[in-house]
Amino acid sequence: MPEVKVSGLHKKFGDVTVLNDINFTIREGEFFTLLGPSGCGKSTTLNCIAGLETPSSGAITVDGVPFVDTHKKLYVPTEERNLGMVFQSYALWPHMSVEANLVMPLAIRKASKEEKSVRIHEALETVGLSHLKDRYPHQLSGGQQQRVALARALVYSPSVLLLDEPLSNLDAKLREQSRAWLKRLQVELGITTVYVTHDQDEALSLSDRIAVMFDGQMAQIGTPAEIYEKPATAAVAAFVGSCNFFTGRLEGHHGGIALVRLDNSGILVKVASALTLDKGDAVTVAVRPERLSITSRTADVTGANVLETTVLTRSYVGSRYEYGLKLGTNVVQVISPSGDLDGAVRLVFEAEDALLYAGSSVPSAEAAELMTVAS
Amino acid sequence: MTTTSTDKIVRPTAGRSALPAPKYPRVFGVGRGRLVQYGVFILLALFVLAPIVPILYQSFRDRPLYEAGGILTADNYGKLFTDAGFGQVILNTAIFAFGTTVLTLLIAIPMAVLVVRTRLPFGRLLGLSMQWPFFISSLILGFGWITLYGPAGFVSVQFRQLLGFVPWNLYSLGGMAVTEAVGLAPIAYVFCANALRQSDASLESAARVCGAGPLRILFQVVVPMLRPPIVYSSILIFSMSLETLSVPLLYGTPVRIEVFSTFLYTNGLQSISPDYGILGAASTLILAVTIGTVAIQAKVLKNAQRFISVRGKATRPRLLDLGWIRWIAVVAIVIYIIFGALLPILGLIFRSFTMIFTPLQNPFESLTLSNYERVFTFPVYVQSITNSIVVAVVGAILVSVLALLAVLVARRSPFKFARSVEYLALAPQAMPGIIVGIGFFWAFALTPGGGWIQGTLVAVIIAFGLRALPTAFGSIAPAIMQIGNELDNAARTSGADWFGTFFRILRTLLRPAFVGAIILVFVTMMKEYSAALFLSSANTGVIGTTMLDLWVQGNTGSVASLATIQIAITAVFVAVASLFMKGHTDA
Repeated sequence: MPEVKVSGLHKKFGDVTVLNDINFTIREGEFFTLLGPSGCGKSTTLNCIAGLETPSSGAITVDGVPFVDTHKKLYVPTEERNLGMVFQSYALWPHMSVEANLVMPLAIRKASKEEKSVRIHEALETVGLSHLKDRYPHQLSGGQQQRVALARALVYSPSVLLLDEPLSNLDAKLREQSRAWLKRLQVELGITTVYVTHDQDEALSLSDRIAVMFDGQMAQIGTPAEIYEKPATAAVAAFVGSCNFFTGRLEGHHGGIALVRLDNSGILVKVASALTLDKGDAVTVAVRPERLSITSRTADVTGANVLETTVLTRSYVGSRYEYGLKLGTNVVQVISPSGDLDGAVRLVFEAEDALLYAGSSVPSAEAAELMTVAS
Repeated sequence: MTTTSTDKIVRPTAGRSALPAPKYPRVFGVGRGRLVQYGVFILLALFVLAPIVPILYQSFRDRPLYEAGGILTADNYGKLFTDAGFGQVILNTAIFAFGTTVLTLLIAIPMAVLVVRTRLPFGRLLGLSMQWPFFISSLILGFGWITLYGPAGFVSVQFRQLLGFVPWNLYSLGGMAVTEAVGLAPIAYVFCANALRQSDASLESAARVCGAGPLRILFQVVVPMLRPPIVYSSILIFSMSLETLSVPLLYGTPVRIEVFSTFLYTNGLQSISPDYGILGAASTLILAVTIGTVAIQAKVLKNAQRFISVRGKATRPRLLDLGWIRWIAVVAIVIYIIFGALLPILGLIFRSFTMIFTPLQNPFESLTLSNYERVFTFPVYVQSITNSIVVAVVGAILVSVLALLAVLVARRSPFKFARSVEYLALAPQAMPGIIVGIGFFWAFALTPGGGWIQGTLVAVIIAFGLRALPTAFGSIAPAIMQIGNELDNAARTSGADWFGTFFRILRTLLRPAFVGAIILVFVTMMKEYSAALFLSSANTGVIGTTMLDLWVQGNTGSVASLATIQIAITAVFVAVASLFMKGHTDA
């Protein structure tokens, strides 16, 4: 199982820069996900690895073999890269049966007749569809088509598996099950996999490591836990999971704890941070809804931050409740197991529960607008 | 990233060793796909430039191309306007083209709206019959109109008997424009009808929810959305009427009204000592105008695609109910179909079986087959029929293959000049048939060793083929756009190169479009004749040129019989080919 090394990848369409200095290395057998909103360049990156697009500059190496190196004017065409790829639309050839779809890559590789039948049988067995080999793509359900596409990508034992949002065309329930199945399959095969998605849940649950991209830039590379717990930027925090953002000014910094005066209410909060900033600098405090807790005003509470708020909305979302609390001019989203809180309440969180980012970097102006109320 | 061999997962994918990717041979460091792409590009460039370059060159030379020792000069352009009276020709052409465009839109737009968006009795039938004049050559339509509405036509004579005079004059710019508009209306109709079918039905539903009635919806929602296809088709019609030869030739010659194409015809073919310099200069100017209009058209279409709202899910819009107005609409459409196309063609067919065709004498009394006999007793006439079939069949196949390759290169390849390939394939749209004929004639004369081709069927096929190329390209290109790009990409990642992707995947998927293109090119080449006027010799005439010869001789009966034969051949071919296609798309 080879490693994939992408270095200094740039891609420009005319004046528009789609990829700007993308670097990462995927370890052998790793499940690596490119995550980001649509148009962030994740699919372009995948297509560059596949050879379906040529980078403006940069190099890609798989298993020590250079596929692209713009400095050496080197470019291996897609068909000679021996990669397996599953497309968003599955791209099963509609005029061929399932078996014929799987035969084609083997026929191109001039495999013997036995080898073809053994491999096709094994590949279809792997995805659990060997009984459907005579069907045509339009006779299969979406989930089955997706598995056939996977079988077709695996049948010639490619060096790396590339998956371009393979689950996005399935309905929600099936998507969850397919996700778990895909994870088991990948672990079992141990094949190096590059996965592209805009769905953070998929990325978190499937990946060994995630690369988060925005606007053609690499924002952060890390394990799912690192991405979720310690997002490198406010944008990552907003994109992966939901998050409350409050702008404010730094009042002081003592022993890893920053004192921030919030713009929305003038309240002083303590946030754990290793950032070195000057007093008076603009900062943004980010807290995940599940890291906040609510207690009634009558109860005794201790904590680094105890804020007086009132309940605006409460909605039951299955196993838990979502609260909208009014903090100055902001609405704060809180997830809580208890559904009986109302009126004046206290919002409690520890300094370590919040994240601090330099500058007033609220990720989306529209979201910020929706989270604003009259004071 | 450092990895030691110990943490390598030993088990290969799916329990099998990897099958290595195929290696493809390279010629001069490029794969075979790239070679094909360059081949198509160069072939198209030669094909398109061959007739243009000699014309340009001739227009700046003081003597014919084949005479040695000429000098370059711009005198030809001066002479064109002073001696040859080209100014009047420009004026005539402008009036004719504007008239045709306006009349075409007046016929096509209301019909498209009525047929596609309102509830009409026999709506489907009317929609289908709106399109069939396309299959008839405008030469035949012209003959048909003269037979009925010409100075001595069947209907005209009837009117003269009733009123004492004929209330119209077919042999005028107005008469030309009306006939041409009837012939071209199907094209504008198809554009508008397609746009209407694709438009988002929820826009109309929204208007209905707001309380708008059917007429208001029609005029405030449906018609305004038609602006892009109207603009596009009016430019298309305009450029087509700039280059058309048939109707101006038939109507204009007796009364000496000249437009672009007839000017070239009379100066190049009918004059005893043609002035090649003037011919070249006129051709160059006409080309500049037609290329200009086609360029505008391409630009408009590019922008127009942004306006047309296409939804993935087919929403079937509810048809609007116009009440009693719909009966007026039906009558108007029926009048167009019957008097514009059906009666002239039927009249022409009927004419072919009679000696004399006039209301003054019962034509059934003089029923005869002698018109056909005359055609079949002269081997040259018979030959022109077989020539037409050979040219159309061979041309249809060759042109469709070339168009298919051009579409693949233009739309499905990373080829550097993909755009240029598309422009080259569509460029002949801007080249009037008679200019293509003149251009190739000179090109063959100039090419060393090209003399043998002069006057052969090969020359005719090449010239007709160039004219039909945009049609073939235009019919295959949309089909390939409907085949998702990911199918190609899946083949590429599976190990097929560009060429293999076509042979293994696209070939089968494109077969219906390819057969469709063959049918279309066959019909187009069957109708074509103007390019052959310069290129064919006595033995290599086609039905169209023979009809024109016979017409000049006053042999209208035989013209009618040849026209009938051509219509019959086209009808049989289209019927057989569609049956064949139906049988094969089911599989």
